[in-house]
Amino acid sequence: MSVATAVAPVLEVRGIAKQYPGVRALDGVDFDVRPGEVHCLLGPNGAGKSTLIKCVSGAVALSEGEILVDGEPLPVGEPSASLQRGVATIYQELDLVEDLTVAQSVFLGHEIYRRGLLDRARMRRETVALLERLDHPGISPDAYVRNLRPAQQQIVSIARALSQRVRLLIMDEPSAILDDNEIDTLFGVVRRLTEDGVGVIYISHRLDEIPRIGDRVTVLSDGHTVASGIPADTPPSRLVELMVGRKVEQMFPERPTATGDVVLEVRGLRRGREVRDASFEVRAGEVIGLGGLVGAGRTELLRLIYGLDHPTAGEVLVEGRRLPAGRPAAAIAAGLGFAPEDRKSQGLLLDWSLAKNVTLADLGRFRRRALLRPRAERLAATEQLRQLNTVPDDADRIARQLSGGNQQKVVLARWLLRHCRVLLLDEPTRGVDVGAKAEIYRVITDLAAAGLGVVVVSSELAELAGLCTRVLVMREGRIVAEVDGAAATELNLLHHAVSDTDPAPVQEETP
Amino acid sequence: MTTVPPEAAPSRRSLPFGLSASRIELQEYTLALVVVLLVIVGAVLEPDDFLNSDNMLNVLRQASVVGVLAIGMTFVIATGGIDLSVGSMVAAAAVAGGQVADSGSLAFLLGAIGMGVLLGGVNAGMIAYGRVVPFIATLAMFTMARGIALWLSDKTPVSIFQLEAVRWFGNGEVIGVPSAIIVFVAVTIVAWVLLNRTRYGRHVVAVGGNREAARIAGVKVQRIVFSVYVLSGICVAIAAILVSGRLASASPVIGNLYELDAIAAVVIGGTALSGGRATIVGTFLGVLTFALIFNLLTLMDLPTEIQQITKGVIILAAVLIQRRER
Repeated sequence: MSVATAVAPVLEVRGIAKQYPGVRALDGVDFDVRPGEVHCLLGPNGAGKSTLIKCVSGAVALSEGEILVDGEPLPVGEPSASLQRGVATIYQELDLVEDLTVAQSVFLGHEIYRRGLLDRARMRRETVALLERLDHPGISPDAYVRNLRPAQQQIVSIARALSQRVRLLIMDEPSAILDDNEIDTLFGVVRRLTEDGVGVIYISHRLDEIPRIGDRVTVLSDGHTVASGIPADTPPSRLVELMVGRKVEQMFPERPTATGDVVLEVRGLRRGREVRDASFEVRAGEVIGLGGLVGAGRTELLRLIYGLDHPTAGEVLVEGRRLPAGRPAAAIAAGLGFAPEDRKSQGLLLDWSLAKNVTLADLGRFRRRALLRPRAERLAATEQLRQLNTVPDDADRIARQLSGGNQQKVVLARWLLRHCRVLLLDEPTRGVDVGAKAEIYRVITDLAAAGLGVVVVSSELAELAGLCTRVLVMREGRIVAEVDGAAATELNLLHHAVSDTDPAPVQEETP
Repeated sequence: MTTVPPEAAPSRRSLPFGLSASRIELQEYTLALVVVLLVIVGAVLEPDDFLNSDNMLNVLRQASVVGVLAIGMTFVIATGGIDLSVGSMVAAAAVAGGQVADSGSLAFLLGAIGMGVLLGGVNAGMIAYGRVVPFIATLAMFTMARGIALWLSDKTPVSIFQLEAVRWFGNGEVIGVPSAIIVFVAVTIVAWVLLNRTRYGRHVVAVGGNREAARIAGVKVQRIVFSVYVLSGICVAIAAILVSGRLASASPVIGNLYELDAIAAVVIGGTALSGGRATIVGTFLGVLTFALIFNLLTLMDLPTEIQQITKGVIILAAVLIQRRER
């Protein structure tokens, strides 16, 4: 794909920064997108990609720097201004209303009127034309969104973007919900758009896609641009190096090893198509990684082990005792602890004090004749919070006020207090800055050293490679590989996560 | 590294005179202030009739029936639920007691409590295990319980004049304090301890605050949801005993719109309708606020329609103030 370098860029991002309370999500980001170009945005989770696109789409107000669309500065934090200037975003979680038809969805918010009434015939016609332009004439304008497959819903989202003047299309991990054929089709659609001069920002975790679809790449890490606008055919190993940086080796403490008996045994666990025949063992002192792509069934597996969902087959044993299915309270009594992926919506009661959050799973020990002793609760909670270096460690503080990394520590403190034997951690470092990440890694290894068995789910394969005793890779609900921690690399894990038939991307390891 | 110490806003607000308060405490203080102001205003406007012990005790006695219901309602609302059926259930529980009134006072009490627990249990089962939305389940019970009351009683009140023990709850007194008030205050104290000082109470608020997080922390969510509607049923039975004792009869037409008065008192007390934040003290003061205002309006000879409008305005004002504080 040739790109005329002389043409003025559609989008210029100059030195932007975004400060959240406790985290600097973006810190000096520069890049530009030319008309007709696919510009890939790459970076580990938490690097600031979503914050960046939210700044461009106006959903978030940036703290410093400026964004220019077609050479004109964009007003800060005004989604409607961004839309008007032709910036459209396709989010990873598709934001369509399921109870509307395709045509209604495409024109939602900018309906066409004729003599004061909706001009449904014209909106239908234009929807058909748009879908044809996107090479999907098979989608009926009268179909309900809920009846469409995710891939088709994505096309409707794109059609919706195109129904208004679009200069820049932002696509946030569009391939995450698609299979290989659907990805090919998507690439066809993207190429059509670029032929019309639309600039595209394409975010993906799949390195192999980048040379196929992209023209240039910008790599983000910890809110900085570590490479801006380099060619898309840069070798994957080099891209990984850029993403991961050199600090990684020091980020991880010494790799934990098994020090005791099997504490958790999972036998043939199954639930529909989400989790199929998962079996593995965790010994005391081990940190076991569960890797794979989004949707591979890792979170679902943890939820089954913990009893949050009912398995259709299989069993879980903690220290040799079988857990009753579907009962988290029983799992906790047996010695399991679970830190969910979404701390805010599942882990914590955000309006409660830290003390109450820490003691919630173990209130029994603070009772004297059925009455709770708040002072004892506060003391015990404070002790756990201090041990984890939580900032602040004031147990009266409200959970909402803490940064992501510290909220994670509050959840961990709950299970430390409970003296659990096995900890299940789902994406423990998501949305956490690098410093706090290193601390959480240290906490995890310390816990393992103290004799706990730990299971860590992470989408950051490099994290699993650096942290774990062993890494299990899941794909389409199955555990497809087990890699020894010392031998695990981001690339060989990715290879197992993506396919077992195409070893091509693995060959390019740096000597 | 980009670690910046988080902006640590204090969770307790500082008040004048070196005091500090959490959000809920602040709300309770505000409402207590309102109650005091109401008493002062009343004393000024109606110097003869308002501020004397007869009138004050009368206000409290009248408030105690809805008060007991509001206490039960606080637990339900703390879980994010609602119970629209308590008014009708009061009639059903009273009638159930009346059916067995021939066997004496104890039979009456057990009959009323049995019906309260039974109907509350039906609500509870539907909501906790049948996954029916609380609004709908208790709306259905709202009409069914009234039907049961009318059907069992053949639409006629039963005199329970001979049941002195039951009448004591409505008319008796202990050293000058009407027994209904003592019951209300006792229920309030027990409820306060239950909500604030037991594991059960903590779990109730956790379920309302974040059901999924509570479940992950090992709270038996369904069991908790079940329990609060049964608890509401028990409060219904207590209210039914107070009303019947007062009237010396078990009537199928009592309790009309009590549910709305109870909900209104809970809401102006500061318990969040969405769940997760509950205050028994607030509910108690909310009940007092309404009772004092109505007493005052009645003493001032204002017609009932004005009183109804006033009630609406108070509810709106209270909710708006709470929103502003957020």
